[in-house]
Amino acid sequence: MEVAYYPGCSLHSAAREYDMSTRLVCRHLGISLKEIKDWNCCGATAAHSLDHLLAVSLGARNLALLDGMKMTRVTSPCANCYSRLKAAAHELQHDEILKTEVERILEAPVPCGVEVLSLLEMFVTQVGIDTIAENVSKPLKGMKLAAYYGCLLTRPSRISGFDDPEQPVSMDRLLEGLGAETVDWSHKAECCGAGFTAAEVGIVLDLGGQVLEAARQAGAEALVVACPMCQLNLDTRQGAIEANRGTRYDLPVMYFTQLMGLAFGYSPRVLGLKRLLTSPFPLLKTKGLL
Amino acid sequence: MSRTGKKALIVGAGPAGIEAALKIGRAGYEVMLVEKETTPGGYLNKLCSTFPRWEDPQNLLQVKLEQLRAIPDIKLLTGSSVVSARRTERGFFVELAGDSSTRDTGIEVAAVVLATGFDYYDVRRYGEYGYGVYPGVMSAPEFEARLKEWKNEPEQIEPPGAVAFIKCVGSRDRAKGYPYCSSICCMYTAKQAALVKEIFPRTACYVFYMDVRAAGSGYEEFVRSTIEDKRVRYVRGRPAKVLPEGGRLQIRVEDTLMGTPVEIEVDMVVLAGAVVPREETVRLAGLFEAHIDRYGFLASEPGQPVQAGERVFFAGGCGFPVSIKGAQEQGAAAAAEVIALFNQPG
Amino acid sequence: MPIRIGESSSSLQERVEEACSVDLSQCYECGKCSGGCSTTHLMDYTPRKIIQLIKLGYCDILYNSDALWLCVGCHLCVDRCPAQIDIPRIVDYLREQAYQQGIKPTREQVVTFNALMLGSVFKRGRVSEATLMLQFNLRTRRYFKDAQLGTKMLVKGKVNPFVPGVKGTRELRRLFRGKPAGKER
Repeated sequence: MEVAYYPGCSLHSAAREYDMSTRLVCRHLGISLKEIKDWNCCGATAAHSLDHLLAVSLGARNLALLDGMKMTRVTSPCANCYSRLKAAAHELQHDEILKTEVERILEAPVPCGVEVLSLLEMFVTQVGIDTIAENVSKPLKGMKLAAYYGCLLTRPSRISGFDDPEQPVSMDRLLEGLGAETVDWSHKAECCGAGFTAAEVGIVLDLGGQVLEAARQAGAEALVVACPMCQLNLDTRQGAIEANRGTRYDLPVMYFTQLMGLAFGYSPRVLGLKRLLTSPFPLLKTKGLL
Repeated sequence: MSRTGKKALIVGAGPAGIEAALKIGRAGYEVMLVEKETTPGGYLNKLCSTFPRWEDPQNLLQVKLEQLRAIPDIKLLTGSSVVSARRTERGFFVELAGDSSTRDTGIEVAAVVLATGFDYYDVRRYGEYGYGVYPGVMSAPEFEARLKEWKNEPEQIEPPGAVAFIKCVGSRDRAKGYPYCSSICCMYTAKQAALVKEIFPRTACYVFYMDVRAAGSGYEEFVRSTIEDKRVRYVRGRPAKVLPEGGRLQIRVEDTLMGTPVEIEVDMVVLAGAVVPREETVRLAGLFEAHIDRYGFLASEPGQPVQAGERVFFAGGCGFPVSIKGAQEQGAAAAAEVIALFNQPG
Repeated sequence: MPIRIGESSSSLQERVEEACSVDLSQCYECGKCSGGCSTTHLMDYTPRKIIQLIKLGYCDILYNSDALWLCVGCHLCVDRCPAQIDIPRIVDYLREQAYQQGIKPTREQVVTFNALMLGSVFKRGRVSEATLMLQFNLRTRRYFKDAQLGTKMLVKGKVNPFVPGVKGTRELRRLFRGKPAGKER
């Protein structure tokens, strides 16, 4: 299977381990990722909160690049990039006036009907959990994981059209397919503070803290994410959250692709597990996964 | 044997269907009352009490069933349903399943009253309220069953600290449910909350509401009494989320009178699901060539409030959400139409 | 002080509806958007009140409100709204209006961060998180903010100032249409 790949900026820097593990497990599953040539930043919160037309145009440029590659299906591991690209595609498809305006600015036609999938969605709907489970050589036995979907993987549901926005289950099923146990918990799709990472740290400590607390109460040993922003907020701010709440969490925050890689038999090193601030190694060791 | 041999088919032996059967039977015509369940009574079997008069539903039902039994021209068929219907010159030729005596031959009826009732909305679709995920979150009919147990043996039960009632789950929601007001939820919720306070006076009860719709004889007084005498707290605002928190359930809601977000901890959450049409009603409407509206409720013809087609009448919740008394009134009205039709010569 | 509603203020609702493809007359005023909003407890006006203020046409309150800059864009509200009103889109529209009009935001650092980020997109088409953080800390004069964390991330290899930029910067810059959002004010 061939699919266009839109990694986004984070996967080149803070979330490089997400990129590494994504490429690895895709290759393992026979998925050929074709990186969009010369892709640009989605603009994230910055663009859509200050200049709507710019936000749509940034997405439109990436869609036009896809057209040049003769590809009609694209996946992004970053929930934010996925959400922005999907929103742009949706708006351009439903607003003829906007489309004309954007095409005039871009000086290029924007393709219609591009299928934008989050990486999780691609694995679940295009590959299938059964196939993924068949590839497991080292089951994640005994790991109790909290699947954290965050905001933008399933919302807004009328655009994403994937899973239940309030009680999503796809990542849970995938992790169970890897042999792990998942916990039922309340904050699967609540917000971690997202784009306020730098500008409003207090909000991240508050919201991220609620997520960590809920995962702890549910008895999880680690969180599993599908978004670099979620990972950053919950992992790099975990120390500050612990200080704030006076509770020690020590919850590793891993990308779901890293766990897929582990279960497929890859070493923690090639999956970039060493790059996480809250080390998953003590946990992996007790579960005999090293 | 009836005086003309004209026979009416009534589908559904709930309050509406029973009432229609009684009136038609008393007028001297034959009635075939078909009920898909093994016992007649519909929701009367499931309720703990009624609004606004606190009647015992079982009492109500038994009185009616005795009256039914006293009229030999009424034949009650339980565990049966209509499988096919064909329009004839003087009505319908109908085949019933579940009863071997009529299966092969079928029956000829001159009029039909559909009284197939309603369903409750599947509250699972509101993931934010966690039905089916968090124990302690239940639908209003499930809570009614709970109330029956509590009422019978209150000393066996550890009273909950607090119960929350969320209204309009599936009603007045264009996104996930239906745009209409289900009309009975404000009243049954007030009833359920008042019952909790009657059984366990120390249990706190919160009712979350957008509006309180109590238009009916004795309704407003009933709701006020729930608030004033039973001390049920009404909070204006539609809850956004139910979360498990330290073994209890936390409700996140904006108190829209205060304009501030509020978190309330309770032990049980009752979801007042919308009243929705039954698939069975839509199927029967197809068989009998009856009108339905865009939701699947039976629709009346202009100026004929209980008529949905030629020789097809309806009563009760299959037309739109209605109270028990309202269902009985409609049953009587449908019966009046059938009797008037049968009384015509020929 | 009572809010004065005049004839001139009555068009805001229509402008918002047109720009955001929403129908505010469908609002049930139930507050479901606001009860579960991620940052509602910090807001001066809850999302429900923002909708109401738009209906009343009260631009001044809206453009100067703190809530505008506290919306994190998590979309919890729109998915729960029984009328599916796209509140995040509405908030974005109001932010853009306030920003265009040069109204001083209550949370200046949020706008600074966003403008710096767009500046980076304008310049290189992509964003280096490390460079952006550094720029942000310099601009907001918080030189030692997250210094410890930055070191930790550096050790873990999470800081990469050399994210390659896009080649087609000229066509990319056209998308900014000469607007200030791309350039810092």
